[in-house]
Amino acid sequence: MNHPAKTIAVLATGAVLVSGCGSETNIYLTLGVPVEPYALPETAIELPPIEVLEGDGLPDVLPEDLVWVTNEDDPVFASPDAKRGGTFRTSILGFPLTLRRVGPDSNGSFAGFLRPNQFGPIALHPDTRRAIPALATHWAFGADGRSIYYRINPKARWSDGVPVTADDFVYAMQFMRSKEIVAPWYNNYYTERIRDLKRYDDQTYGVQGANPMPAGEMHANYGIGPQPRHFHVLNDDWVANTNWQIEPNTGPYQITKVRKGKYIEMTRKADWWGDELKYFKHRFNPDKIRVRVIRDPNVAFQYFLKGELDTQGLVLPQYWHDKARGEAFDNGYIAKYWFYNEQPEASGMYLNMADPILSDELVRFGIAHSMNFDRVITTVLRNDYDRLSTFQIGFGDYDNLDIRPREYDLERADEYFDAAGFETRGGDGIRINKDGERLSFQVTYGTPLHTDRLVVLQEEARKAGLELELDLKDGPGSFKKMLEKKHQIAWMGWAAGGLAPGYWQFFHSANANKPQTNNLTNHANPAMDELIMDYRTSTSLEDRIRLARILEQMVHDSGVVIPTFRVPYTRAGAWRWVKLPEWVAPRTVASVFSPFANTGGFSGGGLFWIDVDERERTLEAKSDGHSFGPTTIVDTTYRVDPAG
Amino acid sequence: MILDRLRQSFALNPLTVKQWRRFRSIKRGYYSAVVLGAMIVLSCGAELLVNGRALIVYYEGELYFPTYGDIIPGSTFGLDYEYETNYRDLDAEFEEQDGDNWVLMPPVRYGPLENNLTPGYFPPYSPSFETGHYLGTDETGRDVLARLVYGFRIAFAFASLLLLCNYLIGIAIGSAMGFWGGVFDLAFQRLIEIWNMVPTLYVIMIVASIVIPNFWTLAAVMVALGWTAMTWNMRTSTYKEKTREYVLAARALGASNQRMIGSHVIPNTISVIVSFIPFSIATGIFLLTALDYLGFGLPPPTPSWGEMLSQGQKHIVTAPWIILSVAIAISIVLVMVNYIGEAVREAFDPKKFAYYQ
Repeated sequence: MNHPAKTIAVLATGAVLVSGCGSETNIYLTLGVPVEPYALPETAIELPPIEVLEGDGLPDVLPEDLVWVTNEDDPVFASPDAKRGGTFRTSILGFPLTLRRVGPDSNGSFAGFLRPNQFGPIALHPDTRRAIPALATHWAFGADGRSIYYRINPKARWSDGVPVTADDFVYAMQFMRSKEIVAPWYNNYYTERIRDLKRYDDQTYGVQGANPMPAGEMHANYGIGPQPRHFHVLNDDWVANTNWQIEPNTGPYQITKVRKGKYIEMTRKADWWGDELKYFKHRFNPDKIRVRVIRDPNVAFQYFLKGELDTQGLVLPQYWHDKARGEAFDNGYIAKYWFYNEQPEASGMYLNMADPILSDELVRFGIAHSMNFDRVITTVLRNDYDRLSTFQIGFGDYDNLDIRPREYDLERADEYFDAAGFETRGGDGIRINKDGERLSFQVTYGTPLHTDRLVVLQEEARKAGLELELDLKDGPGSFKKMLEKKHQIAWMGWAAGGLAPGYWQFFHSANANKPQTNNLTNHANPAMDELIMDYRTSTSLEDRIRLARILEQMVHDSGVVIPTFRVPYTRAGAWRWVKLPEWVAPRTVASVFSPFANTGGFSGGGLFWIDVDERERTLEAKSDGHSFGPTTIVDTTYRVDPAG
Repeated sequence: MILDRLRQSFALNPLTVKQWRRFRSIKRGYYSAVVLGAMIVLSCGAELLVNGRALIVYYEGELYFPTYGDIIPGSTFGLDYEYETNYRDLDAEFEEQDGDNWVLMPPVRYGPLENNLTPGYFPPYSPSFETGHYLGTDETGRDVLARLVYGFRIAFAFASLLLLCNYLIGIAIGSAMGFWGGVFDLAFQRLIEIWNMVPTLYVIMIVASIVIPNFWTLAAVMVALGWTAMTWNMRTSTYKEKTREYVLAARALGASNQRMIGSHVIPNTISVIVSFIPFSIATGIFLLTALDYLGFGLPPPTPSWGEMLSQGQKHIVTAPWIILSVAIAISIVLVMVNYIGEAVREAFDPKKFAYYQ
C-alpha cells in the first residue's frame, strides 16, 4: 500500500543527491586505481577554409567606396565619480558544469558570467540603442545590404596579451562551423545565417549574412565575436580537454580562481585595452568578483541579509514587500532600488484558432472582455505589475502605444457571447449555445506560481458565463502541448529579445496549423502575411517601424492574443557601500547590478562601484546600532503609463 | 446499551462482540474513532455548514433554498446581474433595507473556491471574526477553513475509494494465490514484482501530460499501481489458513473452492485485513496530499491540503495561519487514524481471540 509514497520519497532524496554532486571527485583516486596523466593530443585537426555557397560571398578586395563610420557622439552613461576597488560578492544556484563558452553544458547560468566578458566588434548603446565601438573602432556597410566591414582596434588584446586580429574572426567562423565543438545550434547559425567572413588585412575583415536588414539589426545578427586562435587545439577531444580550461577573453574580467563546487573568482584586468574607450570609462569597477555557489534562493537571501552578498534581486512581489524588511532596511544599511526599464516583453493568453468555437472572433472578443486583469493586479499582484497592452512591447519606437487592451466589461462580453450564439445559461451559470456546447475552455499553463492569478480570473469569468478549466502541467510539458497545438488557450510568456519585434514566427500562415512552430494561435491571414514579408525584408528603419505598428494593430483586431501582464521594472536590494550613478541605470538594463557589460542585450552593465570606506562606516554603524534612515529609490523615468 | 440493542437485532457473533468491547476499552482509539466519524459525517453535509451559498433566502414572500442544485442568478432577487448571487452581499443589502426579506447563511459564510478580494488590500488576509474568515485566507483570498473542510472531504473520499478498490483486487488475487499455490502463485508473484517496479510518480506525470488529472483518473492510476501490496498479506494468510482442519473438513464435505475461500478462509483472515485498513486510509490521505503538494494531484482550484501546504510554505513568515491550519489538521487526522489503527489491531489480535484456541 505504501509503495507509491515510498517512490515519491525516494525520488525526492534522489533529486537532493543529484543536485548535491557539485564537486568533482577524481573517480580513479577514490577507486584506488593509479591516475594516468591524460595525454593531451598536440595536434589539432586541419580546419577547412570557409565554404561559400553559390550567390554568396564577399569581394576579394576591400571595396573602395565604403563609408567608414564610428560613434563617439552618443551620451556617456557611466558616472565619473566611480571608484575602482573592492570585491563584489554575488551568488549562483549551482556550480557550472563547464567553463567553456560553447559546447555541451555551456548554456547554464554561468554563461552569464563568461559570455559578457567576450566582446564582439561593436556593442549597443543602452540608451540610444545604436552601435558603439568595442573591438572594432569603425564599421561600414556593403552595397548588397547584408554585409558589414569592421576595422579592429589595434590595441585590442586577449587576456594573455596576444593582439586580437582579423584572423581570430576567420577562425571563429571555422571554429563555430566545426563538428568538434558539439554545438549544433552554433554550427547551424554560422552556416545558415552567417554566409561568409573574409580577412582583408590584420585589422580589417568583412562579414556577410543571409538576408538584408537595417543597420542596427545587422550588427546584432551578424556582428559575431572572435575566438582565440592561438589557444584552441581543435580535435575530437576538444570538448573534454577544454571543460575546465580558462579560455582567454577580451572583456574586463578573467577567471583567476576556481574552487569546484564552492566559488569562482574573477579579477579585473589592470591594463585592460578597453579602459580608454569613451563608453567603457568608469565602468567595471570592482577589483574582484566572487561568485559563490548557494543552492537555494532563500538561503542566498539570508546570506545577503547578513552582508555576505552585496546585492540581491527583489523582482518578485513577495521578496520586495515581505522578505526585504527589518532592521538592515529600516536603518538604511541596505538600500532598495526599483527601476523601471525598457525590456521587451510578451506575455499573454494565446487563443487557438483551430478550435471550432475559438475560431469565431466574437467569442474571442467576449473572452477578452471577461478577463478581470485589474482585479488580479490590485490584489494578488500587489499593484506591482502593469497590464500589457499589446502582443509585445519594449522595443522603443516599434511599440504601438495607441492600442488599448480590451478591458473587463461584462456588458460587452454579454453582447459578444450573445452574438456568437451563446445566449442561454446552464444550471451552473455557464453559457450554452443551440447545439448544447458549453462556453468552456482549457487554459494550459506551466508554472504553479501563476495559479493564484488564474483562479481569480477563473472566478471573475464565471460571472460572464465563461468557464476556464485550469490545465497545469510542468513547464516543458505545457510548452510541448502548446507547440503541438493541442491547447485551447495557452497562458505563457515569450523570452522576447532583440532590437525589433518579430511577427513571422508568431502569426505567419507558414507556421499555422503545424506542430513545433511558435504560431500558437494558428493565425493565418493572407493580408497580414504580405505585410509580415514586407516587414522582414525591408531595410528602412522608418518603414519597419510603420509596418510593425500596423501589424501590432492587426494582431489586436483579430483578438487571438489577450495580452496579460508586464513587469516593466527590475528591483534589487544592495548594501550601502554599493554605489550607483545618480541616474541609476540606462533604460534598457535587465539588472542594475550587473557587473559586466551586457545586460538585456545592451551594454548597460558594470556601472556600480564598491565604496570601501563606506563599507567600513556601514559596518561600524551596524555594530553601534546607528541608523542612516531607510533608503528606497524608485526611478520612474522610463515608466510607460499603462493607462496610455 | 446500543451494543445490547445491536446484539438483539443482529445477533452478533460473540467474538465480534468481544473484539468490539476490547476496542472500546482502548480509550484513545475509541474516542478518535468517534471524533473522526463525526468529522466524516459532518463533512458529507459540508455544504450546509461551510458555504458561500445561503441556506434559506426569503424574498418577496417566497422561500429559496440555494444550497444544492443550480445557481440562482442575482436577477431573481432584484439584483442587476445574471451570474450567481453573492449571498453575503444580499444579506447585507436586505439588512440595510430593513424589510421582510432575509437571508440565512451557514456558520462559515465562504465557499472553498470563492476569491474574497478587496482591491488595494493584498491577500493572504489574516484570521478575523469580523470578516468571517476564522482561519484567514490564502494567497488568492479564499477561506482557509472552507478549503480545509472540503479538502478533508476529498482526501478522505479518495483514500476510501482507493482502499475499497485496492482491497477488492488485492484480497481476491492474494487469496487465490495462497489457495491454489503452485504455478499460479509463482506466475502472479513474478508479475507483481515486475508491476511493483513501475514508478508511480512518473506514470502520474505522464497521465497528467495527456489529460487533465481529476479525482477518477488519479484514483484509477493509484489503484492500478497500488493493489499489489495487499496480495502479499493475503497470500501468506491464506497459505496458513488453508492447511487448517476446518478447511480440510469443508473440502471433505465437498465445498467448492469459491465457498472454501469466501466462507472459510477470508473470514478467518479478517483480523489481518481490518488491522490494515486505518493505515491504508492514512497512506491514501498522505499520498493525495503529497501529489497535490508536488503539483501533480487534482487540478487547481480544487481545495486540497497538499496545495495549501505548498502555499503555506511559501508564506511561512508572512501568513503563518495557512501552514499552521493545514499542518495541524493533517497531524490531527493522521494521529487519530493511527490511534484507531492501533486499537483495531489490538482488538483483533489473534493471540487473544483465535478460533483455534
